[in-house]
Amino acid sequence: MTLGQLAFKDLLRNPTRLLLTVLATGIGVLAFVFLQTVISVFYSGLAVTQPDRLAVRSKISITQPLPLSYKRRIESVPGVTRITYAGWFGGRMSETREDFFPNFYVDKATYLKVYDEYVAPADQLAAWMADPCGAMAGKSLAERFDWQIGDRVTLKNAVYPGEWTFTVRGIYAGRTPQIDTTLFAFGYRCINERLPEELRDYVGIYTIVVDDPARSAQVAAQIDAMFANSAYPTRTESERSFQMSFIAMSSAILTAVRIVAYGVLLILLLVVGNTLAMNVREKTVDLATLRALGFRRRHVAALVLVESLVIGLAGAAVGLLLAPPVLSGFVRVVSESFGPIGTVVITGPTYALALGASVGVALLAGLLPALRAARLQVAEGLRRIA
Amino acid sequence: MSEAAQVSVAPIVRLRDVSKAYFRAGMRLPVLEHVDLEIAEGSFIAFMGPSGSGKSTLLNLISGLDRPTEGVVEVAGRDLGRLSDGELAEWRAANVGFIFQLYNLIPVLTAAENVELPLLLAPLNRAERRRHVAAALDLVGLSPRVHHRPTQLSGGEQQRVAIARAIVTDPRLIIADEPTGDLDRKGAEQVLDMLQELHRALRRTIVMVTHDPHAAERADLVRHLEKGRLL
Ligand SMILES: Nc1ncnc2c1ncn2[C@@H]1O[C@H](COP(=O)(O)OP(=O)(O)O)[C@@H](O)[C@H]1O
Ligand SMILES: [Mg+2]
Repeated sequence: MTLGQLAFKDLLRNPTRLLLTVLATGIGVLAFVFLQTVISVFYSGLAVTQPDRLAVRSKISITQPLPLSYKRRIESVPGVTRITYAGWFGGRMSETREDFFPNFYVDKATYLKVYDEYVAPADQLAAWMADPCGAMAGKSLAERFDWQIGDRVTLKNAVYPGEWTFTVRGIYAGRTPQIDTTLFAFGYRCINERLPEELRDYVGIYTIVVDDPARSAQVAAQIDAMFANSAYPTRTESERSFQMSFIAMSSAILTAVRIVAYGVLLILLLVVGNTLAMNVREKTVDLATLRALGFRRRHVAALVLVESLVIGLAGAAVGLLLAPPVLSGFVRVVSESFGPIGTVVITGPTYALALGASVGVALLAGLLPALRAARLQVAEGLRRIA
Repeated sequence: MSEAAQVSVAPIVRLRDVSKAYFRAGMRLPVLEHVDLEIAEGSFIAFMGPSGSGKSTLLNLISGLDRPTEGVVEVAGRDLGRLSDGELAEWRAANVGFIFQLYNLIPVLTAAENVELPLLLAPLNRAERRRHVAAALDLVGLSPRVHHRPTQLSGGEQQRVAIARAIVTDPRLIIADEPTGDLDRKGAEQVLDMLQELHRALRRTIVMVTHDPHAAERADLVRHLEKGRLL
C-alpha cells in the first residue's frame, strides 16, 4: 500500500454515497453542458456573421419586399464590393407542422460569393448553378428527409400560388460545425418567371459586403438616404444586428437560462460539500487515529481533497458522456414539434468549461471539510465514539 | 516492586509539575494537578483510577497527543513542549506505539494494511514494509488473517492487529489506554500475555491505563490516580 492507495481505499468506506454523489455531480454537469449548448445555439447564427456584411431590408417591415431594380443602385455606392439578394419562400411539403423546413430563393450567380461559409462539391455546385429550379439542401436537412442528389421536392405556398417542384442538385456543409445546415435554397429566376406580372421583380433582402467594416455605418447611411423618399425606403444594418432583431425577444430568456446554468453549479457545490462534510464527520476517529500514528495535517487534508477530486472528475466523466446523446435526443424531439433548429454541437470550450467547473466546484466543496480534518484536535477526535 | 532498580535506569518519561485544565464558560476545570512522574525505560507501568480521574489525559500528555496547561513533559530525551505540531507528529511516528480500547483500526483496510499504516511515513520500500508487517503479524499470531478486514475479526483479534500496528515501527514506548476494556476474559488474557511478552522479551516500555485489577497485576508497577492527582 502507498499513501495514494490509502486515499483510494478510503473512498470506498461508503460506496453507495460515493456513487450517488458522483451521479448527482454527473447530472449537474449534464445540465450545465445542456444549458450552455442551448444558449450557444441561439448565438451561433451571430457568431458566423461577418462584420463586413450588411443587410439591406425594407424600412417598413421585415416582411416587405424591395424592388429588384435596387441592385444596380446599391452596387454603385462607393465601398460596396459585392451584393446578393435572397428572400423567404416559406413553402410546405404538406400542411403538417412536422415537415417544415426553412426554404428560400437566392440569386445563384452571387449568393455564395457573399456567403462563403457554405461549401459543396464543385460538380454539385455547377449543376445547381445551371438549373434555376435546382436546389441546394443542407447536410442535416438532406439526412432528415433522406434526400439524394436528383430527388424532387414539391412545395406548396400560399403567397406564390400553385405547386413548385425543385430538384436537389447539391448538398452543402458548413465551413465550421456552427454553420446552419438545415436550409434549402433555389434560384430566384425559377420563382420570378412564373409569377404574375404585378408580383414580379421584388426580393426579400439584399446582403452587401463592404470593403472596410469601419466605414459600414457611412455606407449604410448613404444607401438608406438614397431610397428615403421612394415608395420602398430601406434600412441597412449589420448582419449581426439584423439577426439580433430576431432574437432580442429571447435575450431575457437566455439570461435566465444562463443564471440557471450557474445555479446548477451552486447546487453541486452544496451537494458535494455536504457529502464531504458528512464523510469527515463520520471518520473523525479514524482521522484522529491516523494523526496519532504520525500522519500530518496535510495528509488528512489530502485524503479529503483526493475524495473531492475523484468526485469532480468522475462526475464530469458521467455528465460529458451523457451530454451528446441527451442533446441529440433533445434536438430530435424539438425539431419534430417546432421545426428544425440550428446545428447543435457541444463545443470544445463547453467541454473544457464543464470539466473545469466540475473539478473546481468539487475541490472548492472539499476545502472546508479538508480544513476541518486538518484542524482536528487529536485528543478530542480520539474521545469521540464512532 | 523493583523501585530500587528503577532509580539507576535513566527515565524515558519525566513529568514535572504538570497540570492540565479545560476552560469552559469562564471556569477552570482541572483534570490533572501538579503531577510529577518518572517512568524508567523498559518498565511496564499501569495507571488505575476511577472514570474521569484523568488517566487518558495523562496518557495523551505522555504520548504527545495533547499539551499540558502547565509543566514540562520530557519523553525519550525530548521536551515535547518545544516541538511544533509537525515535529510532534514525526516524533510520535518514530517513538510511540498506540493501543486503544476500541482498537481504532481503519475499517476499509485489511489487517496487513492497518499494520502497514505507520510504515507509510517511514523511508522504507514496499518489500521492506511487507517484511516488517509480516513479522509484526506473526508476533501476534495473526499470520493467517492478514487479508481480513476488521469486521471479519473478533474483538481480541482486532486488538492483536492493533498491537502489531503499535510495534511495527519498533517504538521505544507503547501506550495502551484500557486495551482490554472491550474484550472478554479470553481475549483480554491473550492481549495481556502479549504485552507482557513485549515487555519481557523485547524490553519495550509499556504505559497502560486500566481499571481492571487483573490487568494491572501484569504490570510491574501500578500507580493510582484520583481526581487528577497521582497518589
Ligand atoms: N475537551 C474537554 N473539555 C472539558 N473537559 C474534558 C475534556 N476532555 C476531557 N475532559 C474531562 O477531563 C476529565 C478526565 O478525563 P479522562 O482523562 O478521559 O479520564 P479517564 O480516562 O480517567 O476516564 C473528565 O472529567 C473529562 O470529562
Ligand atoms: Mg479514559
